[in-house]
Amino acid sequence: MRDAVVIGAGFSGLVTAIRLAKAGRTVTLLTKGIGGIQLGQGTIDIFGYNPDRVTDPLAAVDAITDGGHPYAHFSGTEVAAAVRYLAELLPDVFVGDPARNVLLPTAVGALRPTALVPTSMAAGEVTDGKKYLIVGLARLKDFYPGLVAENLGRTPLPGGGSVTARAVTVDFVAREGEADSTGLNHARALDDPDNRRKLVALVKPHLAEGEVVGLPAVLGIHDTAAWTDIQTQLGVPVFEIPLPPPGVPGMRINEALTRLAKDAGVRVIVGNRVVDHAADGTTLTGVVVNSAGSKTGHAAKAVVIATGGFESGNLHMDSYGTVTEKTFGLPLANAEAPLVHGDYWGADQPLFKVGVAVDDAMRVVGSDGAPVFGNLYAAGGILAGATRWREKSGEGIALASAVRAADSILGEAR
Amino acid sequence: MTIEHTHEHEQLMRASLDHCVKCTICETQCPVAAVTPLFPGPKFVGPQAERYRHGLSVDHSIDYCSSCGTCTLVCPQGVHIAELNSLARGAMKQQNNMPFRDQIISRTTLMGAVMTPVAPVANWALGVKPIRVIAEKVIGLHRNAPMPTAHTQTLQGWVKRRGASAPAKPGSRGKIIYFHGCAANYFELETGQKTIEVLEHLGYEVIVPKQGCCGLPLQSNGLFDAARKYVRKLVADLRTGGKDIPIVSASTSCGSMLKREAEEILGVADPELADVGGRMVDIMELLLKLHDEGTLPEDFAPMDVTLPYHPPCQLKSHGIGVPATEVLELIPGVKIKESGVACCGMAGTYGIKKEKYDVAMAVGKPLFDMVLETNKELALCDSETCRWQIETATGVRTVHPITIIHKAYGLS
Repeated sequence: MRDAVVIGAGFSGLVTAIRLAKAGRTVTLLTKGIGGIQLGQGTIDIFGYNPDRVTDPLAAVDAITDGGHPYAHFSGTEVAAAVRYLAELLPDVFVGDPARNVLLPTAVGALRPTALVPTSMAAGEVTDGKKYLIVGLARLKDFYPGLVAENLGRTPLPGGGSVTARAVTVDFVAREGEADSTGLNHARALDDPDNRRKLVALVKPHLAEGEVVGLPAVLGIHDTAAWTDIQTQLGVPVFEIPLPPPGVPGMRINEALTRLAKDAGVRVIVGNRVVDHAADGTTLTGVVVNSAGSKTGHAAKAVVIATGGFESGNLHMDSYGTVTEKTFGLPLANAEAPLVHGDYWGADQPLFKVGVAVDDAMRVVGSDGAPVFGNLYAAGGILAGATRWREKSGEGIALASAVRAADSILGEAR
Repeated sequence: MTIEHTHEHEQLMRASLDHCVKCTICETQCPVAAVTPLFPGPKFVGPQAERYRHGLSVDHSIDYCSSCGTCTLVCPQGVHIAELNSLARGAMKQQNNMPFRDQIISRTTLMGAVMTPVAPVANWALGVKPIRVIAEKVIGLHRNAPMPTAHTQTLQGWVKRRGASAPAKPGSRGKIIYFHGCAANYFELETGQKTIEVLEHLGYEVIVPKQGCCGLPLQSNGLFDAARKYVRKLVADLRTGGKDIPIVSASTSCGSMLKREAEEILGVADPELADVGGRMVDIMELLLKLHDEGTLPEDFAPMDVTLPYHPPCQLKSHGIGVPATEVLELIPGVKIKESGVACCGMAGTYGIKKEKYDVAMAVGKPLFDMVLETNKELALCDSETCRWQIETATGVRTVHPITIIHKAYGLS
């Protein structure tokens, strides 16, 4: 019998598991595959739009009036504490203040608000009068420096002001004989100091006074010194711009958190879905995974569902428009039709707000507000009530709910 | 020539393609694509290329897939990428004529049966460079690739003749069937002997039915019909050990064949296979289960040592996590350093092929470095060919984790 089984290996699953294990609990983390962290940008978004661009995400959390939104369960201070908990787990990875959004250039040259950013992205913060040199790599087809520079240059900044930006492309050979190397293979190449010297030699002739250098986010994958080494050699501030998935900054965070979970004693079991559960009345006694050959039971005192929603397939909509939760068949909030409307560029699709409702302890509740199981908690993308991609609220919700779910379990075990 | 999807399970494998959201998580974790442009990656040759196959093989790059299964393991959407790629590779090989080499190296029982009676000669021949150079030129076995060491006795022979070393009375925990696989029978008797002795020490009465090869090497080389015959024969062999008795294996890849691959790749839907697969348990999985239940004797002799341990790809595909790490760390003083590396490069018979050898060594390099940094005397790994690969590449003796448990129980 484990103290807790956590299902899912994104931010919410890993952080819940780590927090419980560090408090001395026995934890098994079950995950169908690798979690979604590397599909994100590597930044910690708390609240970017509500619906207008947010400058203080914690104030926006406190101002939430929709009782069905995940943030309705938290104060801004609590969200900040959860975000800081992650930052403390991964020292030297993030910089920033949960109470202040910064604007970072995206790979299409738009401005994206986010709260905590990897140290390798910090120099990209958009401020009035900044001068950018955006460097493209000829063999990396997911990044067009001209697009980034032109869009940055023509965008008025909120509150006034503007930046200037120009683009160059250098032919950096990530892998000999390849005209089209992936972002990840570029990052692997830049783990090698020799290759970093070659890249620096290609970029250096293009530098001009007072510019910061933006490169695609491929500056090393395992060597944490890669970005600082390139910056030191170039002698100017250098920052990374995240690419479409698979995102190297997310991979770095995912690997670090997964290692941390294992080091904390979490039993990590990858590769199989949870297909069943056992319960004694309204108390879950364990879950069942379809491991090879036979199903394996994992008995536990508490279960945390941190599977994510539609992205992972745990929320599923059939051809009749009916949405189901695939792991436990839990009751869903906001699941009434119509969930999809035909105006593609119009209002948010209602679909994205489908999920499980929870009480303040993060216990999954039914429409009557009563817990479905007394010891089943939810965290992250499975929670109902937020359109994360538009709000830019995914990581903040994941971390706040993960910390709360873990603390609820720890509190009850006391 | 067409790819025949005659089996219901093959259809199910193909249906899983629709779950691919092109997130490319598999591509980021593929150990082969990381080191060579010859293999474009599991999504590219799998969910992507499959749309163009229409029953025919469309390119040769799929031959560079090592079948390590990492892609299927890490897929968050449940796409059976590795299994689909195995099926497509089988069709490609049929279409392009199977090399003679692949026919030989995939018949492990034949190799063992031929080598055992002439073990000293066979071992001598495999150690002589000019002979290996000829073997490389003629049949394409790389001259530096690890080869198993033949013994003059088989594990089956040892079980029959051990006499006095067998326990005097039947154990208190009841019967357990031991599936040893070809490697323990012919090439690595020590692993088989120690597994049996640990099980007996725990109180099991160990039954070792006469048994053949699981067919995995045939399957990896695309010889599906022969593989089905082998695995069905093995299932029948193991069932002679008795009904409803748990079956334990210390060979992770052969165990995975019975638990999963024979059904998912070969489409064997026999209830007999499901019976055996459902009873199958890995030796370290069993020990961790006993520990969780509180019935594992933990009077281990302390050992002050840090050991590098590589959980092989085929173990990960069992969906049981990495039980050896937790079990070994029950021994006072033992610290396990997990490799954190997807694959050693060998992937069964992949790394011994002339054209794949360099790729396999590049795949394994981070693991070899990690082993050498951690302990120059001893390394651990659950799978046979991976052990041979690590040992040949690093010169560090590499054994099954059960060897350490055996010693900690004072059995050696």
